[in-house]
Amino acid sequence: MRLLLIEDDDILGEGLRDFLAVDGHRVDWCRTLQQVAAHQGEPYDALLVDWQLPDGSGLDWLRGRRRRGDATPALMLTARDLLDDRIRGLDSGADDYLVKPFAPEELAARLRAVSRRIAGSADTRRRFGEVEVDLVARAVRVSGQRVELTSREWAILEALLLRPGRIVSKADLERLVLGFAAEWASNAVEVHVAALRRKLGRAMVETVRGIGYRLASGQ
Amino acid sequence: MKALPPPSIRARLTLALLASSVLWIIAVAAAVWLTVHDEVDELLDDTLLAAAEGLRGPLSQLPAIGMAGSAESPETSASGRFAWQVVDHLAESGAQVVAASALAPAVPLRPVASGGFSDSDAWRVFGIPLTDGRRWLYVAQTHAERQEALAETALSAALATLAITLLAQVWLQAQIRHELRPLQRLAEHLADGDPEDPGAALGPAERRELQPVHRAIAELTRRLALRLERERAFTGHAAHSLRTPLAGIDAQLAVALRESPASLQPRLQRVRTAARRLHRVVSALLALFRSSAALHPQELDVADLIPRLAIEGLAFELPDHRMLTADADLLAAALLNLFDNSLRHGATTIHLSLPGSNILRVHDNGTGVSEGERERLQNALRGQVDTAGGGLGLLLVDLIARAHGGSLQLPAVEHGFAAELHLAARQPAA
Repeated sequence: MRLLLIEDDDILGEGLRDFLAVDGHRVDWCRTLQQVAAHQGEPYDALLVDWQLPDGSGLDWLRGRRRRGDATPALMLTARDLLDDRIRGLDSGADDYLVKPFAPEELAARLRAVSRRIAGSADTRRRFGEVEVDLVARAVRVSGQRVELTSREWAILEALLLRPGRIVSKADLERLVLGFAAEWASNAVEVHVAALRRKLGRAMVETVRGIGYRLASGQ
Repeated sequence: MKALPPPSIRARLTLALLASSVLWIIAVAAAVWLTVHDEVDELLDDTLLAAAEGLRGPLSQLPAIGMAGSAESPETSASGRFAWQVVDHLAESGAQVVAASALAPAVPLRPVASGGFSDSDAWRVFGIPLTDGRRWLYVAQTHAERQEALAETALSAALATLAITLLAQVWLQAQIRHELRPLQRLAEHLADGDPEDPGAALGPAERRELQPVHRAIAELTRRLALRLERERAFTGHAAHSLRTPLAGIDAQLAVALRESPASLQPRLQRVRTAARRLHRVVSALLALFRSSAALHPQELDVADLIPRLAIEGLAFELPDHRMLTADADLLAAALLNLFDNSLRHGATTIHLSLPGSNILRVHDNGTGVSEGERERLQNALRGQVDTAGGGLGLLLVDLIARAHGGSLQLPAVEHGFAAELHLAARQPAA
């Protein structure tokens, strides 16, 4: 998943970024809302937002984003543990609320839960004909045989899985897979999509000419 | 030593009223005595005078000496009230009683003729001449009778005063009770009041004298609310300042555990366990600090708390009846600390039971402590001093029990270590 982490504490931010990166997530880490502004318009699979930031309230920032119609799943990461705070956080647009200190393993588990909700299924496994994808195990099987994907191939597959039925533009896919400010070769997405098709079958990823890519209908 | 209760306003006022009433009665009686003494004397003298004037006419007709008693006696109209004598004062034979009332003495009331009032040993006498300076009429009254009249008058006045005073006492007692009632109502209002809600005003003072009290309470409530607000803000900052680095430590350790060679992993895992213990203590401290102003007791099932505590390495044995009334966050913090202690003392199983009303007993199978050490810890808790060696945990648990109006008891057990959280029965928050 491509994640936007907004956390002003260096030790925690770095720890979470590295922990989540090991889990295969692409994490853009911002310490302030000012830094977040530079990521305006970037597509993310989930937002990890600290409530109290040096230059404002993460909750207010999230509320503004929701008001503008953005539905990206958001997890509040905060030291505020009162019932009133939790209710306020959830009512302001957070999909989940994690009180510090939390174990990063729990955050990772909640992100998996978020991804299941986005994918529209409680089951972590999705089937596309002969292809079976396990979002938690990050494993893909074709006709029961394990198929190894590179991290970028998996990232493209996951980005499409998290947007079932939606067309994802090439530009968005580039940013979702590689992250903010990365330099890719202009045909990198086509190359990785082609590799995916080769491994999983041509019908797995559909090209919508001039717009982007879409995943085949699954079960 | 038990402190004596403070003096009661009502009792003191009653005592003061009684004392003043007694003094009042004595003063009134003395005043009545002094006033009535002169007035009654004067009145009785007037009576003697009037009686003498009344008798003068009839008794002027008495015959000369030797014929006394033949005249019609006028004493019927004044009998019992005073005595009279008609005395002839003769140069040759001295004073001689010519006629007298039944109460009069046999000897002349005055041996020498004289007019006006005079006193003898037993009589108050008034004399007026009847004829040619030889014959005198003496009207007299005994001193005893005059004293008796005086005493009766004074007694009547004193009794009337006493009756009025007693009635006034009863009325004043009722008035004291009535006037103290606003104080009682104020106390009840304060007892039910919410220190966190300065808006719950006392309303207008029922008596002018209570206005300064109302103002002082309102000011105190305002300051208390301000202080609570500041403390809450401080707790928020403290929570952020403590929790965020703890989360950072845990995240860094989680990454380090993934990246480090296998030989380092046990050491890193121990560091992570210690960090989590620190997290529990911080959570308990924050919960306790936050709850010091207002506890939120509720009916809860102990079994529901255990999964929330996320304790690893302990098995739990739960009783059938597990319902308690307590603040859930505080009880969770207390249990976390007790379980943490158990883990540090090698326990693998925790037996939970409810041996009494709102008493939770936590008994582990760890190494426990010696009887002497147990007593030392219990005494330290009783004195609210550092349990040195027992860790911050037990002191925190005791503080949590005290916040509930109870205490932490460490009963003697044969194996392991036991702690009893006595949580005073409080009504669940509405």
